[in-house]
Amino acid sequence: MTYNYKVVRQFAVMTVVWGAVGMLVGVWIAAQLAWPQLNFDIPWITYSRLRPLHTNAVIFAFGGSALFATSYFVVQRTCQVPLFAPRLAAFSFWGWQLVIVAAAVTLPLGMSTTKEYAELEWPIDVLIAAVWVAYAIVFFGTIAKRKTPHIYVANWFFGAYVITIAVLHIVNSAALPVTWTKSYSVYAGVQDAMVQWWYGHNAVGFFLTAGFLGMMYYFIPKQAERPVYSYRLSIVHFWALIFTYMWAGPHHLHYTALPDWAQSIGMVFSLILLAPSWGGMINGIMTLSGAWHKLRDDPILKFLVVSLSFYGMSTFEGPMMSIKTVNALSHYTDWTVGHVHSGALGWVGFITMGSIYYLMPRLFGRTQMHSVRLIEVHFWVATIGVVLYIAAMWIAGVTQGLMWRATNPDGTLTYAFVESLKATYPYYYIRVAGGLLYLAGMLIMLYNCLMTIREGKAIDAEVPGAAVAHA
Amino acid sequence: MEALYLLIPLSLAIIALAAWIFLRMSDSGQFDDMDAPAHSILLDEDLPAPMDITPEGEAPRPHDPPSRDA
Amino acid sequence: MSGTSACFHCGEPVDRPGRWVATVGGAERDMCCAGCKAVAEAIVAAGLDDYYRTRSAPAAGAAIVPPALAALEVYDDAAVQARFVRSGEAGCEATLMVDGLRCGACAWLLEQGLRRRPGVEAASVNLATGRAVLRWNPATTRLSSLLDAIGRLGYRALPFDPREREAQIQRTTKAMFRRLFIAGLGMMQVMMYAVPVYVAGPGEIEWQHESLLRWASLLLTLPVMLYSASPFFAGAWRDLRARSVGMDVPVVIGLVAAFVASVRATVVGHGEVYFDSVTMFVFLLLAARYLEWIARRRAGRAIDALAAAIPDAVERVDRASGEIERVAATRLAPGELFRVAVGERIPVDAAIVEGRTAIDQSLLTGESLPVARAPGDEVPGGAINAGTPVLMRVLRTSADSAISTIERLVDRASADKPRLAGLAERIARWFVAALLLLAGGVWLAWLQIEPARAAHIAIAVLVVSCPCALSMATPAALAAATGAAMRRGMLVARGDALEQVAACTDVVFDKTGTLTHGRPELVRVAVFADGPEGAARARALSIAASLESGQAHPLADAIRRAAGGTAQLPAAPDDCETLPGMGVEGVVDGERYRIGSTAFVAAWHPALAQAGADPAAAGDTLVWLASRSAPIARLHLRDQLRDEARRVCDALTAAGLRLHLLSGDRDAAVAQVAGALGIEAAVADASPARKLEYVRALQDEGRRVLMIGDGINDAPVLAAADVSVAVGQATSLARTAAAVVLLGGSLDELTALRTLALRARSIVRANLGWALAYNLVAIPAAAAGWVPPWLAAIGMSTSSLLVVLNALRLIPAASRSATPPAGAAPAAGLRPTAAQPGAAAHGSP
Repeated sequence: MTYNYKVVRQFAVMTVVWGAVGMLVGVWIAAQLAWPQLNFDIPWITYSRLRPLHTNAVIFAFGGSALFATSYFVVQRTCQVPLFAPRLAAFSFWGWQLVIVAAAVTLPLGMSTTKEYAELEWPIDVLIAAVWVAYAIVFFGTIAKRKTPHIYVANWFFGAYVITIAVLHIVNSAALPVTWTKSYSVYAGVQDAMVQWWYGHNAVGFFLTAGFLGMMYYFIPKQAERPVYSYRLSIVHFWALIFTYMWAGPHHLHYTALPDWAQSIGMVFSLILLAPSWGGMINGIMTLSGAWHKLRDDPILKFLVVSLSFYGMSTFEGPMMSIKTVNALSHYTDWTVGHVHSGALGWVGFITMGSIYYLMPRLFGRTQMHSVRLIEVHFWVATIGVVLYIAAMWIAGVTQGLMWRATNPDGTLTYAFVESLKATYPYYYIRVAGGLLYLAGMLIMLYNCLMTIREGKAIDAEVPGAAVAHA
Repeated sequence: MEALYLLIPLSLAIIALAAWIFLRMSDSGQFDDMDAPAHSILLDEDLPAPMDITPEGEAPRPHDPPSRDA
Repeated sequence: MSGTSACFHCGEPVDRPGRWVATVGGAERDMCCAGCKAVAEAIVAAGLDDYYRTRSAPAAGAAIVPPALAALEVYDDAAVQARFVRSGEAGCEATLMVDGLRCGACAWLLEQGLRRRPGVEAASVNLATGRAVLRWNPATTRLSSLLDAIGRLGYRALPFDPREREAQIQRTTKAMFRRLFIAGLGMMQVMMYAVPVYVAGPGEIEWQHESLLRWASLLLTLPVMLYSASPFFAGAWRDLRARSVGMDVPVVIGLVAAFVASVRATVVGHGEVYFDSVTMFVFLLLAARYLEWIARRRAGRAIDALAAAIPDAVERVDRASGEIERVAATRLAPGELFRVAVGERIPVDAAIVEGRTAIDQSLLTGESLPVARAPGDEVPGGAINAGTPVLMRVLRTSADSAISTIERLVDRASADKPRLAGLAERIARWFVAALLLLAGGVWLAWLQIEPARAAHIAIAVLVVSCPCALSMATPAALAAATGAAMRRGMLVARGDALEQVAACTDVVFDKTGTLTHGRPELVRVAVFADGPEGAARARALSIAASLESGQAHPLADAIRRAAGGTAQLPAAPDDCETLPGMGVEGVVDGERYRIGSTAFVAAWHPALAQAGADPAAAGDTLVWLASRSAPIARLHLRDQLRDEARRVCDALTAAGLRLHLLSGDRDAAVAQVAGALGIEAAVADASPARKLEYVRALQDEGRRVLMIGDGINDAPVLAAADVSVAVGQATSLARTAAAVVLLGGSLDELTALRTLALRARSIVRANLGWALAYNLVAIPAAAAGWVPPWLAAIGMSTSSLLVVLNALRLIPAASRSATPPAGAAPAAGLRPTAAQPGAAAHGSP
């Protein structure tokens, strides 16, 4: 009896492909901000239409495929059974790819709900829901028929993310269709804003955090060959996160039409969230205690551990930015963009890369990637790219915030908007440079993976204990 | 804030579900042993048998003989 | 790697040579899997690689049943299995205690090893508790072969005899944890809904939204009140029915007042809500009690692990055929014959049929010297055969034998003991009365001043005067103290033990094994020969040791030990004859000697019998050595006092405690010890019943008795004393009857225990004092109408926090003083190994 590595392979390969695509679009739109001529007056490649394509591609295509690949892998190996309902698993793959392709077509065509991270129109939303139901059945079905009594902690994180995203997606995307390509949200005005950011932040929290924490709790111990620092802490961490995440959403809506008290809850709970987040980070990093020297020679471990540093940084920065007084400076500036990308490039990107580098050889019957040195190169190139990116955006963001709120003694604004634009322009170039480096790293990864695949052979590993003399 | 009439009951329902899951899991002994499961994944061998030689000049693989690691 | 094909650790074939390699004894060894490699490395890291040197090769299945397996076969017996095996349609299931689990790899290895065996349906190993649950098909495999398999993997497994206690402990722990979890969940969620109301300015939240938040809080508080808080309601109801006021009563008053008022305010639409205070209070209180329970459970588990005893297996002799069969002792029926070798325990009350021997009854009576027994004499179950092999006839079944009788005495004694209320409970009584009066008074007062606020303020008084600190004071301190004690090798198994230790007025000591080491030592050799004394001594000792070689007798052991230090051990004598209860006669180096009691040797030299008793040697046991021609030496053996005994007794006396010595040993020995230690009240030749009487008499006088002992004969009185302490090498029964077990085996731990108990008591008092002070400030403030709900919640959590922090001071205090006692080696399940640095951080489960 073998594990179902096929669907894992499919998703793992597409992770790398969509990563390159999504980042390419990202670089392109960054360039468009620096050189607006690059819009060429062609509607389908205008910044406004490509930006949601970028966010959807990196979050759902790249991040989503990574989550599918790793969750399907981890659940099988920790439960010691092959995937439940393999045909549904196959459907989840092809359905998801269809979602992505549909996004790639509809978004440039301007079909959008305008809700951030939920721009896809209603037919695609329905497809997403169908794929998600299949995903849940496959994932939880596998756990139900597991051979090991204990459910490893990573599966808890994956399970929570699957269930929560289902709820968030269905509630937020509730809409009244008018035509095949147009619908209206059932919520209106500030109510819609509240629901949207309840979705938006929980999507970050469960899709981009809980899901990838599941990845972290498996691949870091495996690569470091060390058990999780404190398994008990990981369980506590999980439950603490589940019970405190729900109310952080309003911090996206400070100083808007949202009532003050609702904004305050958002602030308080964003601050409270700092504790469980850092608990998880410490747990992951301390897993390396006794094995720090491995970081010297192992670039995969570098990706995994550095991702946790960025995670810690973002989960500190986020609560800080949710404080109203800080938010008064940062809201609508590029600082927010910097914050998003430190989390996305640093945490989500790196943990994905580390995990895929771990997975890829094993899926193709190899003991390591085609070139370990290229992994090292990728790491350094990408790190420099991330640092350039976020440093640029911090400076730009703070500059914007300060300039926008500067007032003269008579109460008029000191600066015209275009002046702040001029001041922050140079940083847009730096951002493009940073993004280019990050993209270059991704392309190196794509090459490395293709070579590994070419040298290897798609295999499905045996399920241990089935018919073997000993483990 | 009419949205709260949706979000708060929804949140309560999710909390109830989470609590129910927790209690069921606790009953079935999921939280009884907090030490051994951390090791069980490490003892799961997922490397295929080596098919060819390691390319020259590469960094050590994660599963090299213990004399070089901790 | 070499072409070796067998795993160095377990012997299974190695599929991938070179894949898993561990360095053992300086050489690289191939292992069959990651588990064996991890275990081998753990063994080497712990410095135990002798294990590989000394073990025999991993045995393949053999047609000849190895002796070790034969001993395990007793576990296949249905009567034995009835004690710990549960049978069902799914097969047989047993819980085992496993020794030697060093880390997670061990647990995994054991599981895999067991699961592979034919007939095993399920095997799961819990590293934290050191227990394994095994389910097997009895038609396919036997338990003994599974136990053997475990042994070959390098672990030792013993059946775990739950006695219902373990099952009970599990149920209690689970129930407590679930309540705590629900309370914690409720608290966090209710807090979330309370914060917006607190931070919003007046009128900022529209009424319907605030109402929504209140209703949500109500729904979340309901399970906390109905489920999590139910133990408090049950406890309060029990107390009130018994017409007493315990700690639960003020708790319930506060909870009900706050909850009912909040529900009313939610339904009616105005007034304060206190849902956050209610949930927080329940959570904090449950947390304190839970931590205390966990600390106590750990100590109790450690005691259980120590108390494991293999059921006796006996060689039954068939009357007719003379065939010998090894059976479980529980199976012996009156009238059957069985054989007892030297050094084995006689499992049931029996009479000697053939053979003269001496029996060691120290387990039962405390008497340290074996007594002679001849054919026809009765021997009690539990005695050890210290002379020669004998054939015996069963008089009573094991259920009715001496040991069982003592067990029953224990049960009765512990049931009769009155439970004294703790300090906190006593405070609770007048606190509740005062509180209710006050609340009533406040209500009446405000009815005159501003009737609309009267009810609210009265409720605020009830809520803010929350007895959090009061009710948490004791559990928090006890949890910390129990944990601290355990780290020092003192296992506190009963909740009130520490309080009782602090309150005791009299200390009753057992003698043998408690004040003394429990075995005789050679203290003096008086030689009669001429010539240099040193050489004569050495020669006498050498002859004595030679004669005593092969004797399973405490005196023989002592002599051999003493001789072992002087020269190499001599060879066994030729032509040796043992007369149990008398001595040994044999030929050494061509000469015939006798060694033994005065009567035995006086048969050759009558003058010895007349020799006057030496007063200085009053308690000593004399062993004479003589040749046919002349007496050679007189050996004095004595069960020595422990070095620290005098010091400890002096310290206790200085602290104002009265000391007593109760022993089953003979008068002379007891008098000598009592004199050496300065104990005035001493009783010798005391049976278990006599000791019980003595302690009861003291208690009737109003004294609080602490009993410290080690033998089974102490068990009934250990159960009856106000608080009982068992010493390290104590037998299993004494351990389970005792409230505290001192693992290190040194009496200094008794003084350490008392110091800890006194400190714990002072911390409890400090906590209670703080609680009262807080209430003295908070209640007037509430009565004046100055305390809004959020302030009440903050006050509650702060006072609880302070109580807990204060209790934590107990922990460094215990570990700061003196190093942990030598030999205090906690069982494998007590704490995680060095492989899990983080898991050992706090005293959580």
